[in-house]
Amino acid sequence: MGKFSYTQENEKEFERILKKYPNSDAMMLPGLWLVQEQEGWVSPDAMVFMADRLGKSPIEVHSFASFYTMFNLEPIGTYHIELCKTLSCMIMGAPELKKYVKETLGISPGETSADGKFHFSEVECQGACGGAPMIALNHTYHENLTVEKLENIIKGCK
Amino acid sequence: MGEVVNITVNGAAFEAEKGSLLIDKLLDENIHIPHFCYHQALGKDGNCRMCMVEIEGQKRPQIACDTPIKAGMEVRTKGENIEKVRRDILELELINHPIDCPTCDQAGECKLQDYYMESGFYESRVNVDAKTHHAKRIDLGSNVMLDRERCVLCTRCTRFCSDITKTNELAVLGRSDHSYIGTFPGRPLDNPYAMNVVDLCPVGALTSKDFRFKQRVWFMNSFDAICNGCSKGCNITVDHRKEKYKNDEIFRFRPRRNDAINGFFMCDEGRLSYHGENENRFTTPLLEHNESNNEDIIANIFKYLSTSKELLFLIGPNLSTEEMKNINNLASKLNVTISGYSPDTLDEFFGDDYLKNKDRATNRASFKKIGINEDEAYFKKSLNSASVVMIIDNTYFENNLALLEGKRIISLFSHTCKVVEKSDVALPIASFYEKTGTYTNCDGIEQRVVSKMKKDNGALTITTVLENLKDMIGKGKL
Amino acid sequence: MNPNEMIVKIVSKNFDIPNSHTLDVALKNGRYESIDKLFTMDPDDVTEEVCKSGLRGKGGGGAACGPKWKLMPPLDERPRYLIANGDESEPGTFKDRQIFQYDPHLLIEGIICSSYAIGAHDCFIYIRGEYKFFIDRLNAAIEEAYAAGIIGEKVMNKYDYRMNITVHRGGGAYICGEKSALIESIEGKRGHPRLKPHGKECEWFFGQPATVNNVETIASVPNIVLNGYESYTKYGTEKAPGTMLFAMSGPVKNPGVYELQYGCKMTDVIEQIGGGMKEGLKLKAVIPGGASCPILTAEEVDKAYLDYETMWSIGSTLGTGGMMIIPEGVSMVDVAKNLIEFYHHESCGQCTPCREGCGWIDTIIKRILDGKGTVSDLTTILDVCETMNGKTVCVFAPAVKDIIKSLVQKYRDEFVSYIETTEKQGDAING
Repeated sequence: MGKFSYTQENEKEFERILKKYPNSDAMMLPGLWLVQEQEGWVSPDAMVFMADRLGKSPIEVHSFASFYTMFNLEPIGTYHIELCKTLSCMIMGAPELKKYVKETLGISPGETSADGKFHFSEVECQGACGGAPMIALNHTYHENLTVEKLENIIKGCK
Repeated sequence: MGEVVNITVNGAAFEAEKGSLLIDKLLDENIHIPHFCYHQALGKDGNCRMCMVEIEGQKRPQIACDTPIKAGMEVRTKGENIEKVRRDILELELINHPIDCPTCDQAGECKLQDYYMESGFYESRVNVDAKTHHAKRIDLGSNVMLDRERCVLCTRCTRFCSDITKTNELAVLGRSDHSYIGTFPGRPLDNPYAMNVVDLCPVGALTSKDFRFKQRVWFMNSFDAICNGCSKGCNITVDHRKEKYKNDEIFRFRPRRNDAINGFFMCDEGRLSYHGENENRFTTPLLEHNESNNEDIIANIFKYLSTSKELLFLIGPNLSTEEMKNINNLASKLNVTISGYSPDTLDEFFGDDYLKNKDRATNRASFKKIGINEDEAYFKKSLNSASVVMIIDNTYFENNLALLEGKRIISLFSHTCKVVEKSDVALPIASFYEKTGTYTNCDGIEQRVVSKMKKDNGALTITTVLENLKDMIGKGKL
Repeated sequence: MNPNEMIVKIVSKNFDIPNSHTLDVALKNGRYESIDKLFTMDPDDVTEEVCKSGLRGKGGGGAACGPKWKLMPPLDERPRYLIANGDESEPGTFKDRQIFQYDPHLLIEGIICSSYAIGAHDCFIYIRGEYKFFIDRLNAAIEEAYAAGIIGEKVMNKYDYRMNITVHRGGGAYICGEKSALIESIEGKRGHPRLKPHGKECEWFFGQPATVNNVETIASVPNIVLNGYESYTKYGTEKAPGTMLFAMSGPVKNPGVYELQYGCKMTDVIEQIGGGMKEGLKLKAVIPGGASCPILTAEEVDKAYLDYETMWSIGSTLGTGGMMIIPEGVSMVDVAKNLIEFYHHESCGQCTPCREGCGWIDTIIKRILDGKGTVSDLTTILDVCETMNGKTVCVFAPAVKDIIKSLVQKYRDEFVSYIETTEKQGDAING
């Protein structure tokens, strides 16, 4: 694992976004999103990189990233299935979907499938209660799910 | 100082500065106000919620650390309501706290224990196996051990590293009740004041690796002193204990508050310098490199003083003002040259812009006050013409032993060194923390140290030695 | 009331128009019409108009918007900021996303109006990180607006008022919807809410004056500017004028977001707009305004009207207006576990009562579900709720108390019955 650096494109994007804020501290969120979009996770090397960029210490970056649910502090599978578990989704059938994932992919929340393809998480309310139950697949929402619909979505993940 | 207004606390009247923090007033007046996260050097964080008080006219209890003083404020820290609030919050602090007291170093000086005992909180309705679990023996670096289970997340340690030392090694990681304190891999706690977090931590989460498992605090005795690591003279508390069959030994130094000198903190090197106090003691008097006794040695010193032609007293800058004066008087009386030349205590790499001063000597300022010459030229000239040199707690010759060739050497030291080994007459004396004395620091502040150590190593204080010598001089004979 | 009287489309006026999110279609359907009127007014007059309209914050608190704007200090050389709260993470709430998806230009228009009123030239829209689709859509609209000169160095290519808008993507933390935690988050820190000031004052963004408003609140402003306060006060109730995007979720026939005037009868909304319960299901309870509200039993639902004052009078709150409908057959113990888990995960962990209290209540309810609960556990839960109430840095803990206390008190029989049944089962198994 070598040192982290942005792609040229992301470097440009970072600088472009930086101009919009009165203080570079505000780049913590946007900067880390660029990291995760580039690598799929936020590694310790990326934290050192970010710390240098923003004049902070690496532990401050780690402290920040570990507060927010969406930043992966470890690499995860290619496809991240996030199943909403909060009230309306629970009432409308999330438990059945969870059971389905366990039965077909063999994984429980927090686990990655053996072939490294799917990572499964249970998440809190995603703001899609009217379309319950739902999953977010790599941050794209799929609402009004049934077991069949979920089956098709998973099959569609190449 | 702003406008002074009147307030009452538990019915008693006080004057306070309008707009200042209520908790400061309570602490200054020694009114008991439980708290974890507030610290007068770090300011408020408002996260522990223990310092809640009742304020007349306010529906809800308020945290004293975030309440500005207003004229006519009526504060209650005691009473059924506010004590129930405090108990309830304490109960929540205890929910996930491990029952480590039997093995925890903090026992006896732990805020959580203290508040628990005060509340009479003896019935627990907490299910023990439901507590959160975390790593318990993490070496953070700089002699600081972390036990994450004991941590109450007061953030005093993280704020110390961000606001005081500005080194930012510590931070809170995670969220909710899975939050914990940590460092970044490969970036341990590493600043000259790191161990202060051990004092700051109100519970046993951060403990000193140096002091770990060594003593129970209630067995130790304490006295006020100053650190003798440099000329700043940071105020400390010396914790010592004389165990059965053993010598009275110092187990740790802790910083003591002095707003004029060191505030609440001290540097790690000073904190750990008690080791130097205990180790390498010079204990048996030496006469011509053979073991001797105090009486014979003092007699021999008297012989040299009364018969030698050219004498030089070289004294060290760590002696107390009284000792310096006494030796100076003796020198005058005997018409002996005295010098305080001691450039070896200057360490360019030690000083910083906070507490550490580059002069590692405790009382150099008194040389000037008393009129003892520290000049290099004067010293070299006197050394040249001297046939007998009496060295009292001065380490200059440690790296310059050759300069003493052909001279008779009398030395008075508390710790062994090359000079002691080379001396013709060597007398062990009481060390810095075994005597009483006054010291003037680099800012001209005079401080007095009164030792409470009960040493039975037979070492005399310089004062006693000088009194004996004066006696002999007075009687004019051996 | 019938649906036609209940439904009033102010904010949602363009939602059903195809491609309403594009600038082209938006301009053809009234977008940015308020701007010309805006710049004929003094900023303070805009604030006055919003005060008179009685516009209340739509993020859950319901505090009056105009008076909040007045907390900004008098104009000086300091930069000032408008911060739009699009963190929408309250369970049962999914209305702000409608604005991002169907009428982002309405939000931009509202931002221009609101920023002008408070003297801000920069607006940051904080949107929850999970809303990637909506963030992309909003960013596209903002780009369109810049390209067309609607915002940027000038407004509408003609008004000498710099207006910059930036979307700031959140990282996944419910607590960042709390306005001071939101600002902490943009400032590059963990989302720990700030200690509240002792008097009323504006917010502070990097040390400069700022106002935080919910996205829907801001989207409600253009109509008030263009058509005057009476266009708002003619709907709703006296104390809660105007409309709000209400949401329904759960097993009703037509879950979704509907803009209604305040004051509608809840059962009318659920029956006539929500279509009533799905086949074979009966209504057991409703959590009326997102999860952080005292739950309403079926009897209480009958007495409920969707405005702040009436909800307070029946011991609940309107919150975000996101109604979560719970059918018979769902165990309240499961509901309690589900919701306390949410709060347990989302507590920022800063202050003791909330951090430890949420975890403790979660553990107790888990123990109850595992069959090891006792009736005294229910007293403990209520005690912990009381300890959390009013003694923390922010209102997260009181929110937990609101929902959990109401569940345990109103459905005590169900909890007790569960405890006793599982106890008996445990005894039967253990002999």
